[in-house]
Amino acid sequence: MTDQQPRDVEDDLGGTQTVIESGSPQDQKATETTVAQAGGELRQASLWSDAWRQLRRSPLFLSGAALFLVFAVMAVVPQLFTNADPNVADLSRSAEGPSGEAWFGYDIQGRDYFANVVHGARVSMAVGFFTVLGILTIGVVVGALAGYYGGWLDAVLARVTDVFYGVPLILGAFLLLSTLSNRGVPEVSLALMVFGWMTAMRLVRSTVVSVKDADYVQAARALGASTWRILTRHILPNAVAPVLVYATITVGLIIAAEATLSFLGIGLQLPEVSWGLQINSGLNRFRDSSFLVFFPSLFLSLTVLSFILMGDALRDALDPKLR
Amino acid sequence: MARYIARRALMTIPVLIGASFLIFWMVYALPGDPVRALAGDRPLTPAALAAIRDEYNLDDPLLIQYGKYMLGLLQGDLGTDFAGRPVIDTITQRLPTTVRLALTAIVFEIIIGLTAGVLAGVRRGSYMDNLVLVSTTVVVSIPVFVLGFVAQYAFGLRLGWFPIAGLSDGFRSYILPGLVLASLSLAYVARLTRTSLAENLRQDYVRTARAKGLKPSVVVGKHTMRNSMIPVVTFIGADLANLMAGAIVTETVFNLPGLGRAVFDSVLRQEGFVVVGIVTIFVFFYILFNLVVDILYAVIDPRIRYD
Amino acid sequence: MRNSARKASLAAITALALALAACGGDDDEDSSDSGSGDNGDGDTGEPTGGAFSTYISEPQNPLIPGKTNETEGGQIVDTLWTGLIKYNNETYEMEFTGVAESIEDSGDAQTYTVTLKDGWTFHDGTPVTAQSYVDAWNWTAYGPNAANNSYFFANIEGFEDLQGDVELTEEGEVIVNEEPESEEMSGLNVIDDLTFEVTLSEPFAIWPLTTGYTAFFPLPEAFFEDEDGFGEQPIGNGPYAATGPYQPGQGMEIERYEEYAGDNPGNADQIEFRVYADENTAYTDVQAGNLDLSDTLPQSALGSGADEFGDRWVEYPRGDVTMLGFPMYLESLQDERVRQALSLGIDREALTESIFLGSRTPAQSFASPVVDGYREDACEFATFDPDRANDLLDEAEADGAFDRSEPIDLWFNSGAGHDEWVEAIGIQLRDNLGIANYSLESIDFAELLDLREQQQMTGPFRHGWVLDYPSLENFLGPLFKSTATPPSGTNDVFYDSSEFDDLINQGDVAGDPEEATALYQQAEDVLCQDMPATPLFYGVNQAVHTENVDNIVIDPFSRIDLAGVTVNQ
Repeated sequence: MTDQQPRDVEDDLGGTQTVIESGSPQDQKATETTVAQAGGELRQASLWSDAWRQLRRSPLFLSGAALFLVFAVMAVVPQLFTNADPNVADLSRSAEGPSGEAWFGYDIQGRDYFANVVHGARVSMAVGFFTVLGILTIGVVVGALAGYYGGWLDAVLARVTDVFYGVPLILGAFLLLSTLSNRGVPEVSLALMVFGWMTAMRLVRSTVVSVKDADYVQAARALGASTWRILTRHILPNAVAPVLVYATITVGLIIAAEATLSFLGIGLQLPEVSWGLQINSGLNRFRDSSFLVFFPSLFLSLTVLSFILMGDALRDALDPKLR
Repeated sequence: MARYIARRALMTIPVLIGASFLIFWMVYALPGDPVRALAGDRPLTPAALAAIRDEYNLDDPLLIQYGKYMLGLLQGDLGTDFAGRPVIDTITQRLPTTVRLALTAIVFEIIIGLTAGVLAGVRRGSYMDNLVLVSTTVVVSIPVFVLGFVAQYAFGLRLGWFPIAGLSDGFRSYILPGLVLASLSLAYVARLTRTSLAENLRQDYVRTARAKGLKPSVVVGKHTMRNSMIPVVTFIGADLANLMAGAIVTETVFNLPGLGRAVFDSVLRQEGFVVVGIVTIFVFFYILFNLVVDILYAVIDPRIRYD
Repeated sequence: MRNSARKASLAAITALALALAACGGDDDEDSSDSGSGDNGDGDTGEPTGGAFSTYISEPQNPLIPGKTNETEGGQIVDTLWTGLIKYNNETYEMEFTGVAESIEDSGDAQTYTVTLKDGWTFHDGTPVTAQSYVDAWNWTAYGPNAANNSYFFANIEGFEDLQGDVELTEEGEVIVNEEPESEEMSGLNVIDDLTFEVTLSEPFAIWPLTTGYTAFFPLPEAFFEDEDGFGEQPIGNGPYAATGPYQPGQGMEIERYEEYAGDNPGNADQIEFRVYADENTAYTDVQAGNLDLSDTLPQSALGSGADEFGDRWVEYPRGDVTMLGFPMYLESLQDERVRQALSLGIDREALTESIFLGSRTPAQSFASPVVDGYREDACEFATFDPDRANDLLDEAEADGAFDRSEPIDLWFNSGAGHDEWVEAIGIQLRDNLGIANYSLESIDFAELLDLREQQQMTGPFRHGWVLDYPSLENFLGPLFKSTATPPSGTNDVFYDSSEFDDLINQGDVAGDPEEATALYQQAEDVLCQDMPATPLFYGVNQAVHTENVDNIVIDPFSRIDLAGVTVNQ
């Protein structure tokens, strides 16, 4: 079967392609092999300390982490960044441009735009984390089952995975969300999970397959350890490194996907404060007040960038072959 | 090999059926009554409702509807929209725009992506290499629709080099959307080329060639490029179907009357048959291109064996 | 490539048009009987000739009068047909400048005799007769034909017999218990070739006024022979005839019908309807001079467009009103003081200025300014007066009829650009009236309509109405009469006032139009006290055009009078 196919190519970008426009199975397969090998048979302890030593010296990782910290704090305590109340509206100053008083100007409702853009960090982060948490849960469960038991179960799960791979992420989530009339953070996260779990599943599955016959696993089995214990204690820890790399990058891509859906008018709904919605609304004034599109776009891109930088650096650090 | 191809091809059949049913199911779970919305704020008489529903099989249970749809599909009949227009007409009319857009994007991918990748891969750690690394990271981080606005603002509104939206300017209308659509894959191609090239340059045969005193340009151009290009070429092939699906965002941003835009409009208008028809086409392309690429890969690269 | 093909075809049309204009010069078209037919066209003399192109988006229905209820197809159909009566371009009153010589009331406002002018023909040369009308109306009304405009004939005697017995289950499934008994309404009787009699099921004094709309256009025999082909290349009786079938995604070309019997033949020789998938492209094409006329402008053009186009930017009132409907079945909206207060708490001026950038005008009446009997300041509660609003709300709250600490739900249909103004209203109600918060419930249009009908609204909802005929009554009866509740009617605020019903019914049977108008105005006064909805704003029809064309007039139905457009040679 093709998902076992060995590829002698490593791609630095890893899973990045996969989520935004939901790349072909090819890229994902390539990612799995790379990342799985990265985690694979290495001595875990030295892997992590080596990685940490390398990360501390990586300017890309440090800038990514710094950006991430800024936006994470912004999501949790937006008040630290702005004194203005994002809800105070005055139509008489609708779409007024940036000034000393209001750094980002005012939105169409006449609300302080800086305050609103800052408050937009929360839903983006929330969707990103919830979705990836869900993706990992599905991925680990389904991937472990398929990899460990193999046989017909593996074959069936592989076909199910193929079916979901057949529907590009944005398209699938777009259709699914259009069937829901109330779309908040849980609904959008769910839609992105439904069409986004497959790579995590294959990642976990290939790790499980690669180590389930290893000597130490055989030994544990001979000693009478339960399947649960073998999986959680001996097999899955091998998947932590590749999954961590994958998850970091995916948070960023899911945030971008949420903004895309909200921008298309089929993601989050007002009065939720979201960068995608702000961009969507600013679009009508694009010719006259382009700042309404510019500021949320900037924040959105920087947030995504922070995750990609961290994920890239993390993979380099965890993959000794690239050094 | 033949057995592999046959098995691989057979395997796509349940996937195609599964994916199309998934789409069909989602579309027909849409809330509200699409027929009802046809008449706007006005009441449609119950008799009229009955007639329309019957015509579109909306009264049948989901599985029967799906069965009837697939039967029609096999005979090339994708149903009609509510204006009575065959969906296949909408598709054939809009397909050229989407294909042109995807091809423009592929051209950008090849020209820019390959060039950047080779420049970076030849000398790892150089200034050029870092530049390519950083810029591809940035490009990947900017959501496609945001990139679209930046392009519209800079090249359309400020500089006026290209039309902001629409197809009013012939070939030039495709340049901005094509570039934007290509951006992500372009960054990917650049990185893939870079790694693949660097990997091959470390191989023994390259060392031998260098030792023989061949010029570096010959080493890279003649010996290494061909091997390095295998993954890149297969990626680009598989990406074509990807780009067509990605068109939903690009065509909406740039207001191009292609299939992506049609899906978007049809979802809003609850034109179920149009949505199912186009998305099914996308998914067919997507799965088939991947099948072809997988097979090609097996043919090109002798190192991979199948049995 | 596509563009150059367009240019080439345009050049070809222009050349053809010039040739035709030369031939048309010695045409013995009699324009002396134009009489009082000044439709605001500017000049009613010789056609100016020439050719021009106009924007259209893909029609959503076959081009059959009974099926076309949207602006896109409506624009084409209205140019290919002329109705029984026409509406004046400036006063919007009815004029007998169409096919009807007269529509006589037999005295009870229930039976009308329609007399047609002689000499009208369809584009295929067959005469327009009384039968052409009766057949067309019966076809549209016949349930199984599923014509969108069938409801226009619901007040004709025998309409029920054409519907059959159809049941709607709770799940929205349709069960056909019985096929329709008849294919012809008993209320339509052909007297002779040019006369037919219409009997309504109830008296309706302004019925003749309603007959100008698309739904009432006649159909030639050719239609009944090939309905599908007709839907692509319709054969009408109007100033222009189709030269070929409608090409999906591209458009349609029409030419002046030289045998046209009406008073105002078309000016231009040829008109091209050009399909655009989006209004942005059309707008830039007008800017660049590639397209002569577009009446659907992108939101983003509203800020700067008027300055840029100057006198090539035209605006006309649209015959619509957008309201906030108050579901009368809701506990929290039972007290009229609450509804009045909510209405007083909205600053309409700020909405139209800041959110719509002047593309809407504030409404203080339930009716559109285009109808006879419209009063600019009909409703005292449809003004902005936060102090008075708070007093009323305080009183209501003291009586336990309202609770400001409960958030208010605002319902509207998603994906149609309503988000911003509905949110602005939410903010205004919160800030001006001290209501705790607002929640925006945006759902798909079809679902919203269903929920409205099923009394599932949990707060005020967006309520839009576009006129069927230019009469005050059209903005009142269909929306607020207690007999017009769903599923058969559109009173989905479920307003029920016998006082209001009586006044409308009296108006319907009134002896003359002025008396009717006075009664309808009294009915509106009742509404303005009860406020089952609050008027918010009116639409504005906007269009831009090139130097190539002039005399752009848009009617309240948002359709350009294309026959009146002149081409500058």
